Amino acid sequence: MAEDLVLDTAIRDWVLVPLSVVMVLIGVLRYFVSKLMRSHQAPDLKVVKEGQVILRARNLRAAAGFIPAKSFRSRKTYFTNEENGLLHVPKGQAQNAQAQMFSDPNLAMDMMKKNLSMIIPQTLTFAWVNFFFSGFVAAKIPFPLTQRFRGMLQNGIDLSTVDVSYVSSRSWYFLNLFGLRGLFSLILGEENAMDDTQRMMQMSGFGFDPSR
Amino acid sequence: MAREGDRGASGGAEDDPPIFNAENLQSNIKSIHYSRTFLSIIGGVIAGIWGFTGLTGFIFYFLVMAAASFGLAAKAKFSICTYFDSWNRIFLDGIFGGLMSFVLFWTFAYDIVHIF
Repeated sequence: MAEDLVLDTAIRDWVLVPLSVVMVLIGVLRYFVSKLMRSHQAPDLKVVKEGQVILRARNLRAAAGFIPAKSFRSRKTYFTNEENGLLHVPKGQAQNAQAQMFSDPNLAMDMMKKNLSMIIPQTLTFAWVNFFFSGFVAAKIPFPLTQRFRGMLQNGIDLSTVDVSYVSSRSWYFLNLFGLRGLFSLILGEENAMDDTQRMMQMSGFGFDPSR
Repeated sequence: MAREGDRGASGGAEDDPPIFNAENLQSNIKSIHYSRTFLSIIGGVIAGIWGFTGLTGFIFYFLVMAAASFGLAAKAKFSICTYFDSWNRIFLDGIFGGLMSFVLFWTFAYDIVHIF
């Protein structure tokens, strides 16, 4: 059983609590800043029309079991007719959704703003943590980890005999980064916190070509 | 917890397949998410104060999640199809999302109470 270190109360008062408080406050600040900076663009009539047509087609697909087969087929032909079907797009002309997204300058600007507003506070806070809070044991995580995590978690501590459970403040920062997502979704409402993971998934999903 | 009395998600004609009111379904899923998050945070603080270490803490977390699932199922009067589209929503959704919050608050409470 490893030795139990006794840590100074001052570490708790001046490292753990301020770091968490600062991260919560930065998250709240980021939420309000992004709300203020969100540029409200007037919706384009063509885009709205297309969206409504797609919505109607989706309802048709979902409720297809409730209407007679003949009327379903006639509605389907209305949408996908070769000459004047509303949703028919000739092969090869379909624009890749990602290309479309980047050619629309407003959308690209919005995304860049959101990305920046996510990255900049994280980078700044990380630099602040590294500068002020390095070189000492900050916390003890209550579960044991293998020796391989030592390099990652005990970054400023140069003793190799200290138990891996005693971590530096950099790992406390990362723990806060991931753990406060849930708290943000509670206090800021409606999943506004850390949308970037979802958006990253969306961006990776846009690679497919709809014309194939 | 959201009032689930008037939030039935599937309705309309009783033939198969049932259709779902997307808005109500979304609101139900959101309320599950909120209650799981809240319970992970509280569970983390409790685990830290009681001094669970290692595997015991994780077992405690899964116990709390199972109790939450049971409570949600009981609140939905065990007829899941009235309120959700699949059983997985109640039992599996959001468990690993809450794990990070649990670990954070567990570490925090454990350190404050036991180490410092």
